[in-house]
Amino acid sequence: MILELKNIEKSFGEKKVLTGVSFKAEGGKAFGLLGRNGAGKTTSIRILMDVFPANSGEVLMDGKPIDYRKVGIGYLPEERGLYPKKTIIDQLTYFAELKGMSHKAAIKSVDYWLERLGMMEYRNKRLDTLSKGNQQKIQLVTALAHDPDIVILDEPFSGLDPVNAMLLKDVVKEQISKGKIVLFSSHQMSYIEEFCDSIAILNAGKVALHGDLHDIKRDYPRDRLVVRTEYPEQIQTDFGASCKVMENGALLIQLSSPEEKKAVMTRLVEHYDIDEVKVFEPSLNDIFVEYAGDAAAEG
Amino acid sequence: MKQFGKILNFELKNYIKNKAFVGVTILLVVIIAVVMFFPRITSLFESGDSVDVTDDLPVLLVKAEDPAQAEMVQQTFAAAFIDYDVQVTDKDTAYIKDQITSGNAEGAFVMTGPTSYTYYVNNLSMYDANEAIANEVLQQIYQINAMIGSGMTPEQAGEVMNIQITSDVEMLGKDQMQNFFYTYIMIFALYMVILLYGQMVAMNVATEKSSRAMEVLITSAKPTSMMFGKVLASCIAGLAQLIAIFGSALLFFNLNKEYWGGNEIVDSIFNIPPELFGYMLVFFLLGFLIYAFLYGAIASTVSKLEDINTAVQPVTFLFLFGFMVVIFSMTSGTVDNLLMKICSYIPFTSPMAMFTRVAMSTVPWHEIAISIGILAGTTVGIGFLAAKIYRTGVLLYGTAPKIGAIIKAVWRA
Repeated sequence: MILELKNIEKSFGEKKVLTGVSFKAEGGKAFGLLGRNGAGKTTSIRILMDVFPANSGEVLMDGKPIDYRKVGIGYLPEERGLYPKKTIIDQLTYFAELKGMSHKAAIKSVDYWLERLGMMEYRNKRLDTLSKGNQQKIQLVTALAHDPDIVILDEPFSGLDPVNAMLLKDVVKEQISKGKIVLFSSHQMSYIEEFCDSIAILNAGKVALHGDLHDIKRDYPRDRLVVRTEYPEQIQTDFGASCKVMENGALLIQLSSPEEKKAVMTRLVEHYDIDEVKVFEPSLNDIFVEYAGDAAAEG
Repeated sequence: MKQFGKILNFELKNYIKNKAFVGVTILLVVIIAVVMFFPRITSLFESGDSVDVTDDLPVLLVKAEDPAQAEMVQQTFAAAFIDYDVQVTDKDTAYIKDQITSGNAEGAFVMTGPTSYTYYVNNLSMYDANEAIANEVLQQIYQINAMIGSGMTPEQAGEVMNIQITSDVEMLGKDQMQNFFYTYIMIFALYMVILLYGQMVAMNVATEKSSRAMEVLITSAKPTSMMFGKVLASCIAGLAQLIAIFGSALLFFNLNKEYWGGNEIVDSIFNIPPELFGYMLVFFLLGFLIYAFLYGAIASTVSKLEDINTAVQPVTFLFLFGFMVVIFSMTSGTVDNLLMKICSYIPFTSPMAMFTRVAMSTVPWHEIAISIGILAGTTVGIGFLAAKIYRTGVLLYGTAPKIGAIIKAVWRA
């Protein structure tokens, strides 16, 4: 299963929101859709879900225009909310039925998910009697109960305690292992880095960066070394201006070319008391700031 | 279609499970039962003997300088004012005024001549007919006296004054007196139900939007299914409530028919021609739908619940205008005036205007057909337009957009 957005253009009135947005997401892998607030993530998701049409461009599934009657989509919106005055079981089965399930199958599936998320005791309670974190877990069921082919999770971890975050991670991993397309949108880079094999960074309605996360990281010039040591002073003096102290206390040494790497590494190991030396790979956070930051927006 | 069924079912259950909805319906049925059983209940307490209630009658004082005139006025007034205890007094005006203000007497006629008097009364009620009755009685006395003066015997004079006219009325159209009451009740029911349920639909849409349940809904169901499901559910609920109320009224009336003793107004209310029920149903359904769609669409553009009332005001005013035109035309007795004729073709006013004309006047069938045709077509159109506005509106947060902006957005969508 490959989901592909191709050259999507969208304007609201005079305001152009998406310009030539294209990206691909594969089944059995998680895809991270990143971007700052207002970059066009939610609009892209809504077009992908056929809430409104794009001005031009296509949404393809395995190369053919997507057939929404056949492809199930589960969605956890960033703006959470269900019916506060309704019982959990009533509204969850309603949503599952709207997605095409029979009443019986809906109840069975909802019960499975309530059990799985440890929410069975709230089955017949009203939503507004639950804590925020628990309401979030209930909302997650609306995205998963109808066993969709594409799961879209917008900021799924916000508001969850570490135990629930762990539970959600397991659920997400399970969905990925079932071969589904899992599309993440989040500002919490650590989660994206943990799950997503490929990403797209949107900036002001355009795709600023798209591809496999490992490849992206590999593509960065391998001309910087990270050195961890108990005695940084000597190294700092010897390397002068090319050596900087990073936020975490490690040293970052800028090489004049990537070819120099082996020689400098040998020199470090032989002449100094160091704990670790490795080639610097940017974190997703660094990449995000580079592609979605103000500087990128102006460029 | 399957989705529409699910939504309809879900929304209907909302009404059935809504305690206020069920409670109000039961309360109304109980009130109707009490009203309809009232004559039967009161008849249980009435004993066979008639009680002398003369003591309780309000006092009406009569004063004249001439004792003979005083006596004659007292006698004729006693016959004319059967609800009063007419008494002669020879006290001065100050005493009479005091009697009235203290509540001992309800009014007083102080004769200043054979055909002139001063009527003293404390609060002159809107429906006080005493002056008119007194005028008529005094006029008759004067006329009889004049006839006697010109040589007639008092019997002859009495006969002339009390000559009876016999007449028959052959009605070719409709009796507006007879059908006024049920038309009024039906129009009022239409008015209440449309306004109440329209606002319920608006509330329902705005609540889903403000609670953000919409975010999931809009990605799960087509806006047309959502809009039509919601509106039809409220329509069925409203119709069920109407049937419960009117049905129980009809049932309770038939159970107590004999106790109502042929009260003309009540009889006329329950003698609605069956075909009028058919028209009522058609105009109710279409009128209900067209307004519910409008209310739903407008509510979808509102972000905060407290903004609903201001947002739906234009629609409410439009509806009120139609209602006012109908009520004024009905009470003035000219249901076929030009304004009513125009209103019976405008889809937003025709449910009430055309229905009133059908009920109270004779309207050619083709005019009714045209009116219903325009109304039905517009209702369907408004339905789809409402679904479009809804799809655009529910995703707009922040301050409610201007009508122009919505139309533009819908046009582009």
